[in-house]
Amino acid sequence: MKAVGARLPRYDGIAHVTGRTVFVDDVRIPGTLWVKALRSPSHHAKITKLDTEPAERMKGVHAVVTHKDVPLNVYGHLSALGIPGDEPLLAEDVVRYKGQPIAIVAAESEELARAAVEAIVLSLDEQPALFDIRKAFDPDAPQVHHWGNWYPHFEAEMDRRQIRKGDIDAAFDQADTIVQGVYRPAAIEHVPLETQVCQVVPEPNGRLTIYSCTQALYFSMGVVAAHLQQPLNKFKFVGGTVGGGFGGKVDTATETMCCLLALKSGKPVKWRWTREEEFLCSSTRAPWHMEIADAVSKDGWILGRKMLTLHDSGAYCRFSPYGLTKHSFHHTGAYTIPNLSFDGYVVFTNRVPTTAMRGFGVTSVSFATETHLSRIAEVLGIDPFELRLKNANRIGDTSPNGVVYTDPSTVPTIQAIADSLGHELPGEYRAMTPAQREGQWLPDHLVSQLGNPEEH
Amino acid sequence: MNLTVNGVEREVESAPLTPLLFVLRDELEIESPKAGCQQGGCGACTVLVDGEPRRSCLTPVVTVEGSQITTVEGLGSAESLAPLQEAFTHHYAAQCGFCTTGMIVAAHAYIEHGGGEDREQIQHALGGHVCRCTGYVKIVDAIAAVARGDSFDLTLTAPSHDMTNVGGAK
Amino acid sequence: MTAAPEVLLPASADEAVSLFGDGTSVTVVGGGTIVMPEITYGRLTPTKALLLHRAGLDGVSRSGSTVTVGATTTVAALVGEAAPLGPCAANVADLEIRAQGTVGGNLCAGEGPEAPRGDLQGALLALGATVRSAGAGGITTEPLEEFLPKRSSRLVLDVSFEEPAAGAFAALDRPHAHTYTALAVSAVRTKEGAVRLAATGVGWWGTRLPSAEALAGDHEAAGKAALNDVNLHDDALASAWYRERTLPVLVRRALAQLEEAS
Repeated sequence: MKAVGARLPRYDGIAHVTGRTVFVDDVRIPGTLWVKALRSPSHHAKITKLDTEPAERMKGVHAVVTHKDVPLNVYGHLSALGIPGDEPLLAEDVVRYKGQPIAIVAAESEELARAAVEAIVLSLDEQPALFDIRKAFDPDAPQVHHWGNWYPHFEAEMDRRQIRKGDIDAAFDQADTIVQGVYRPAAIEHVPLETQVCQVVPEPNGRLTIYSCTQALYFSMGVVAAHLQQPLNKFKFVGGTVGGGFGGKVDTATETMCCLLALKSGKPVKWRWTREEEFLCSSTRAPWHMEIADAVSKDGWILGRKMLTLHDSGAYCRFSPYGLTKHSFHHTGAYTIPNLSFDGYVVFTNRVPTTAMRGFGVTSVSFATETHLSRIAEVLGIDPFELRLKNANRIGDTSPNGVVYTDPSTVPTIQAIADSLGHELPGEYRAMTPAQREGQWLPDHLVSQLGNPEEH
Repeated sequence: MNLTVNGVEREVESAPLTPLLFVLRDELEIESPKAGCQQGGCGACTVLVDGEPRRSCLTPVVTVEGSQITTVEGLGSAESLAPLQEAFTHHYAAQCGFCTTGMIVAAHAYIEHGGGEDREQIQHALGGHVCRCTGYVKIVDAIAAVARGDSFDLTLTAPSHDMTNVGGAK
Repeated sequence: MTAAPEVLLPASADEAVSLFGDGTSVTVVGGGTIVMPEITYGRLTPTKALLLHRAGLDGVSRSGSTVTVGATTTVAALVGEAAPLGPCAANVADLEIRAQGTVGGNLCAGEGPEAPRGDLQGALLALGATVRSAGAGGITTEPLEEFLPKRSSRLVLDVSFEEPAAGAFAALDRPHAHTYTALAVSAVRTKEGAVRLAATGVGWWGTRLPSAEALAGDHEAAGKAALNDVNLHDDALASAWYRERTLPVLVRRALAQLEEAS
């Protein structure tokens, strides 16, 4: 592994600094048509009328596509992980978030494409909208999704991601105090400098060449093939040059639609989202609502954790069940808590569907756990570094979902932080290593959670 | 109308109100300035107009008739890199590369106007340029290095930055 | 499709005035920083676009103690001026936008979709500036307060003010170079000794603070009194609640700065 630790120059560095890197929008193909989308102006409505004929009639408009043109309109992008499809590529009889695409047009200029979109006749019957995940469970809450207001298709058709470990009631009985907290990180936009963009060229041999900004070339290829019900070898994906993604360019939000327009018009098409579209209509990192109650002993052991998570998936589930699952596996963070009761829900609201963003599902609970530990330290009057080191993952400890830690880095990381801040640690904390627990670091209540790292 | 772009006089047919950005990209096929926001808010479209950095997405082409327009292609090439291009490469100041051309053009103007290696001054001069990938530290490193007159070994990248003092914490 | 706009390129102030006429159907383009995105996003489709870059309307001139700023003078060109105008200009946007945006454009900026624009209005109101403009009824000169309500139908030619004895500027920090300022207060002590105060971010355009001016000797009282002169609103930058609490602070700061500068 000669490359590890070496200070290698970027292979694309010189292209970047000389302006030679070819992003999707830099590809020039004569005769390319402009794409614009008719997007829902309403947060939640039934579509009572959709007439694209006025747009189709316009001179210079080469194609208009609606759900009727899509061979498989609802396809679950993560159906291989057992997550059923729920989201239409183009809206059929209902719109569930402001900005949801209903129809797409390809025209000879940007101005013409915009005018064509405005010419489409759309009538909506407004429905009540839900924006607060906490209200999703009220009996009188608006119904957001055909599955109900939260995802019901976890394994064994459970309606939540659930983890039970050890004996939570005993832990709460034994505790000297219970420390509670509620954590609600807001949605975050990815804001890549390059907005969503795609170009599709219909080739003479019937194939489609797709210039895509996707972060996941083969994944997007599979999604497009499934929506279009075509074999993979019909598509030539050209990609890998992404002007920032951060998780927001996995949704395959433009490729399939551009393919449909290229097929219908017989011409190359390009869809470049405006910055406003990027802010208003692209998916975000999800907002979360987390409630934590930790049973703690007065000398700083965390005996048990009860946790409730509501994950705001927006109007459709996209990858949220997967994100919540990862969240649940990491809900104790860098620390070992032997008795657990976790319930997490993927909740639907009438917002833009949420998606992956750096550390999908886990950054939320890392934030909550670290803040909560600081709170515990304050309540107990214990040094926050010592509290963390005491409860830190050690070799042989097990995670919430039973994974045995073989090389956890919590202990040296916290020691390094203390060191860099000039925070003096007492002798036994300074000497601590990640080695398997023993002696004072192995109280009775941590024995039953131990696993064998050799067998991992 | 006529524009001089990177030293070459070009005849341009775009309508007078067309933003310079699209004249450069769509008509002249000079792709280095990017359409990041089309509102002047990101800096990715920055070019030099008579040596001064300007948002080409906000500039009607008729207002720069007769001006010297410089894009990054006019500063250097792979065969002959300008110091800033070498610095950005060596200091790993580009990740996705989308903001890079605008940054280099603005930095070029900063250095030409006598800008020095003071980090606050560099940040002030490039305050209108957004980068979502790098966290800006290495971009400032690269510009400071050029201001200092460093030379650059392009066979490897600069050593990792000591982050303890970057925010002026101590 | 909409016809391409007629593009008018006056080569002198007189030509600009004549082409502007009474302003009907004319879109004025100074630096373009506000108008160009509106055109790009299809929200503005001008029939006639009047581009001022060659009309000779830029430049700062001094005649005795009177300062005259041409309409197409860039915001950047004002950064070196004394407070309040200099620091106010320095606090606008970033290097490139300041170098392209004009005083005229800033004064005539309509309400933004989410927040007020036109930060220079505050400094110029405090300076007691007058505006010379063209439009229906010909060329007129009037105090900036009277100009502002009709700014969308006038063509600014220049702005003039008397150099003050001292000036000050206090603003809420902007989180980023591209954020508009949520609240700013400009203060001026005229050569005659009068104190003038004006604020931006307290309404949809710059506003004088006469109640605060009347109590300028008592900074605390002046800060409180300023609330009587404004109609605070919520917008994308800040809530009325927040502005209610910070306006008195900025008034006090501006008055304290003014005292130090005097």
